[in-house]
Amino acid sequence: MGKTITEKILSRVTGSDVSAGDIIYPEPELLTVHDWYVVNFDKALQELGVERLYNPDILVISTDHEPVAVSPQAAERQKLVREIVKKYGIKNFFDAGRGGHGHVFPVEMGFVKPGMFVEAYDVHVTNFGAVGALAIPVLIEITEVLACGSVWLRTPDTVRVNLTGALSPGTSIRDVAQKLICDLGAARVDYAVVEFGGPALASIDIAGRHILCNTPIEVGVKSALIEPDQSTLDYLAGRVDGPIELIASDPDAVFREVIDYDLDVMEPQVAVPPTPDCVVGVSEVAGRPVHHAFIGSCAAANLSDLQQAAAILRGHKIHPDVRFIITPGTQEIMAAAEDEGLLRLFAEAGAMITQPGCGPCAGGRIGGMANGETSINTGTRNDYGRLGAPDADIYLGSSATVMASAVAGKITDPREFLS
Amino acid sequence: MNWIYKGKCWKFGDNLGIDGDVMPLRFALERELDPAVLSPYLMAGVDPEFPNKVSPGDIIVAGKRFGQGNPHIQGFLGIVGHGLGLVAESIPRGSFRNAINAGLPFLTGCDGVTGDVETGDDLEINFETGEFVNLSRDITRQFQPLDSQLQAIIEAGGWHANLENRIAKLRSGESAMT
Repeated sequence: MGKTITEKILSRVTGSDVSAGDIIYPEPELLTVHDWYVVNFDKALQELGVERLYNPDILVISTDHEPVAVSPQAAERQKLVREIVKKYGIKNFFDAGRGGHGHVFPVEMGFVKPGMFVEAYDVHVTNFGAVGALAIPVLIEITEVLACGSVWLRTPDTVRVNLTGALSPGTSIRDVAQKLICDLGAARVDYAVVEFGGPALASIDIAGRHILCNTPIEVGVKSALIEPDQSTLDYLAGRVDGPIELIASDPDAVFREVIDYDLDVMEPQVAVPPTPDCVVGVSEVAGRPVHHAFIGSCAAANLSDLQQAAAILRGHKIHPDVRFIITPGTQEIMAAAEDEGLLRLFAEAGAMITQPGCGPCAGGRIGGMANGETSINTGTRNDYGRLGAPDADIYLGSSATVMASAVAGKITDPREFLS
Repeated sequence: MNWIYKGKCWKFGDNLGIDGDVMPLRFALERELDPAVLSPYLMAGVDPEFPNKVSPGDIIVAGKRFGQGNPHIQGFLGIVGHGLGLVAESIPRGSFRNAINAGLPFLTGCDGVTGDVETGDDLEINFETGEFVNLSRDITRQFQPLDSQLQAIIEAGGWHANLENRIAKLRSGESAMT
């Protein structure tokens, strides 16, 4: 019987014949943990009497949730994190100012390859699926992976999504990704890996693939990945050392479901409170005043997000009632934005530009909201309280929709700026 | 470990929430993990007297989506604290993982099992093999038992105890698989 990409990856890393449903102990080839959990895992390991990590060389630690310490407690935590990294001999430590968002820079820097098996302390590590890796979130059980090299996994089955058609003008992959999770719904994809392929995939760049792999976790998938292709090889050339092999599901692989999905979603899509899968066309919510907007997070971390925003912003200013934050995903992206003159454009229009990382999306620790306010942003989630204040409404949209709304001071269809 | 539970049936319907129905949410927020602290509050949301009625070896028989909601482990630790077993028509995946990690003997995917029992029936369940017997009604059913690797975690006493065993094995140079 044929195998899915997921079954092939897990068969390879366990050295056994793995099928969906099997309980296995796969050892990840890359492990990521962010700055807000390092002290916790160290405490857990100390309580267990563990002094050495099973494999410190596969671990990447990123200071992305709070790169600029904004409280004395945060500064103390950063100091502890640096000490812990030294204690365990962790080589791949990307402190504030060194990497950026831990779901983005490892792809950029070539840590992630097609067919690789990854685990992480953070759900949005599924972004690594952009280049065909299987990246599975593990929460407190990451302690077991750090100490023993693996933790049990029930091998997920796969929902295959074949992308077809083309984007309609003024829409982007973010609009497609939001509408897709709304259309799929939680029950259909629960615990599945969503595998993207199909004839329209070739039209989607790596940045768009990050977004496609980022949003499905909000409806309870186990992971998401792209069937890697020539674009993947082109992107990784010069980033990854050694040979890169493509991987694909067998023609006779067993899928839970195979879905064709058209990229033409008609109009920009906005997620309304309280969850990211409550998605409507922008026309349904246009006109609602906004006080806060930002572009960033692992769902909109790439240079193309800044380019799409810049195309809207050029010749305009941020609305006087709106505070607007830009968080480039990584140091490399920030530098590229500088090369293209985007940082100047944003700065002169009235934007705040933050250190690369999660930005406000990490719980609103920086640039959060007050009660009674409304935000539109490109973050991953819009639960009440996500940006600090419990009584603040959060709408999610594409970089273009957020930018247009920040200029107009109200939720706005970005196509009004493009005509 | 004894995988065979012989005791009274306590029947519940569909969609019992892990927070609220099975265990007050505050214990999850307080990160309380001691079964002895949690067990007096088991099923507080649906039957506050439940902890006073049950005996070790009794079995909770529940409908679909037992333990739905945010996957908090406290409700399952409360069941373990009473020495009860669990047979459910389905358990959402986050709670499935927590039930394993709590060290709770259970069966899931037991379609229609709530139709075979009433509260007070005498049951005998072999959680290792999946054999289910309602002695009061003379009904025998064979359900799918948990994978042997998951049974090993339960046998160790749950996630933390199993992790301690794995670490000990690693130290002594053995394979650290369960």
